[in-house]
Amino acid sequence: MNNSRRYGLIFGIMIVVLFMLFIITVGMGSADIRVKDIIKSLVNPGDVYLGKIIISIRLPRVIAAIVLGGALATSGFLLQIFFGNPIAGPYVLGISSGAKLIVALVMVGLLSQGVYISSMGMVIAAFIGSLLSMGFVMILANKVKNMSFLVVCGVMIGYICSAITEFVIAFADDSNIVNLHNWSLGSFSGIAWDDVIISVIIVFVTLLFTFYISKPIGAYQLGEAYARNMGVNIKRLRILLILFSSILSATVTAFAGPISFIGIAVPHIMKSILKTAKPIVMIPATFLGGAIITLICDCIARTAFAPRELSISAITALGLGPVVIYLIIKRREVSHG
Amino acid sequence: MAKGIDLQSLTVGYKNPVIEQATFTVEQGDIVALIGPNGAGKSTVLKTIVRQIQKLEGKVFVLGNDEENLSEEDLAKTLSMVTTEPVRPELMSAYEVVATGRYPYTGRLGLLAKEDLERVEEAIKLVGAKNVADKDFMKISDGQKQRVMLARAICQEPKVLILDEPTSFLDIQFKIDILSVIKRLAREKNIAVLMSIHELEFVPAVADYVVAVDGGKVVKIGKPNEVITGPQIEEIYHMKKGTGAPLVESMWQYAKGLESILKSK
Repeated sequence: MNNSRRYGLIFGIMIVVLFMLFIITVGMGSADIRVKDIIKSLVNPGDVYLGKIIISIRLPRVIAAIVLGGALATSGFLLQIFFGNPIAGPYVLGISSGAKLIVALVMVGLLSQGVYISSMGMVIAAFIGSLLSMGFVMILANKVKNMSFLVVCGVMIGYICSAITEFVIAFADDSNIVNLHNWSLGSFSGIAWDDVIISVIIVFVTLLFTFYISKPIGAYQLGEAYARNMGVNIKRLRILLILFSSILSATVTAFAGPISFIGIAVPHIMKSILKTAKPIVMIPATFLGGAIITLICDCIARTAFAPRELSISAITALGLGPVVIYLIIKRREVSHG
Repeated sequence: MAKGIDLQSLTVGYKNPVIEQATFTVEQGDIVALIGPNGAGKSTVLKTIVRQIQKLEGKVFVLGNDEENLSEEDLAKTLSMVTTEPVRPELMSAYEVVATGRYPYTGRLGLLAKEDLERVEEAIKLVGAKNVADKDFMKISDGQKQRVMLARAICQEPKVLILDEPTSFLDIQFKIDILSVIKRLAREKNIAVLMSIHELEFVPAVADYVVAVDGGKVVKIGKPNEVITGPQIEEIYHMKKGTGAPLVESMWQYAKGLESILKSK
């Protein structure tokens, strides 16, 4: 089978799987809803008894998991290219935690003045936080050119930001802050339609732009010197990579908090399924893969011990952590062998 | 003959100058060997010409155009290179690596048209890398990798080719193959080739001119028989007096043998 037909087949399968998961996960939960009723309620929400649950709780949550999960994986793919580091991702580099810190600070600060922050305000705060920790990581990456060092620094930045967030939340004495605690651990719980709509718009516009620069990204995979020789404007490309990966991961953090491992693991899983690293294939593939895996993880997080909810990172870490370890070991074997 | 590359009082370096006031020309169809001791700044000159680092002073003309006025794309269509920097593409076949040379010619999404595929095939054939084309680039030998990178540079359809130590670390068979391809390119496609090289014994058989750098400047420009002489080599490479002559004599012997091999190719 030639490559493009194989890619087509894999994309087809992923889209079908995602659609099936969508129907199944909307139905799953403390109130089990049959597929027939889901379709009925989508067509005519008022008609079905459980329509309200579907429309106002399940649907936004499932759509958020799909769109934000995909965004997170794509952000990881872009960061791995930017740093030339296979274990880069928004969570492990401390970028998600930086975003979380700034969002928490802004939220608590405004709440103490009696002001609620808008969805867009959350995204902007998260974006600023992302850029701040990204800038910090980049300074360190410039000082010491070593993959493991970069990751260790990222993890440390992550811990420091999380610790400060804890302080902020603990000392902000307000009942509205209770939700902040769940969010700061990573969760799609309680996401509202407004948030979903804003996420969808931001993520799809950014994805479109990202896809548009897949050609120079592909050239960059051969290294900076060759990319430049092919006619790539390296400075502009690097800025765009930072910008797009930060927007994507900031949107996720703003609405779902920091989520681990999706950003690192999904690009690798998709590479080994598709047997290519070409951005033109990988950008849509990591998005779909991230959407599928995040949707499954979120479904487990809310149904496994219902009515108790787990943080999504508990599930992603359990499921994807070993995958990442396996990948690192395998990669070492390849580069040493 | 047209000037492929023309350097005018070019000063290169990072913060401090490494080589100052370099002035020389590579005509189209000619091969110029850039020689000099380790750390003399050969690579720095080449990196400056390909705009990997910024020049400190002077001018670089490519096909008569001031490089400052050329866009990234225009430069990519006239000048290509092979560096010593290791390339580690992920999950790419040798064929795909060669095809990246078509970058300046493809559309927004980088899809290869029929003409692009023909150029890629042609370049692979020219360097004799057909048998590794479908293999994973990371799993072929260093010699094969070097051929593939040369094919990549060729299918960029350059008028100027910059090569940084193209034959280092290769076994003798690969060295001869690469040099014969470079020679054919210069002659048949009228490409101006500027390459740094450590193996002086190869220079007479391959290069039309030699540029020697040492101590922060260009110290000698001339035909191989004018530059590669006992006393000159002693001076350029800081060798003991009297050691250069016997060495150069054996180099010329070697070069003769190499020349006859290259001719028979």
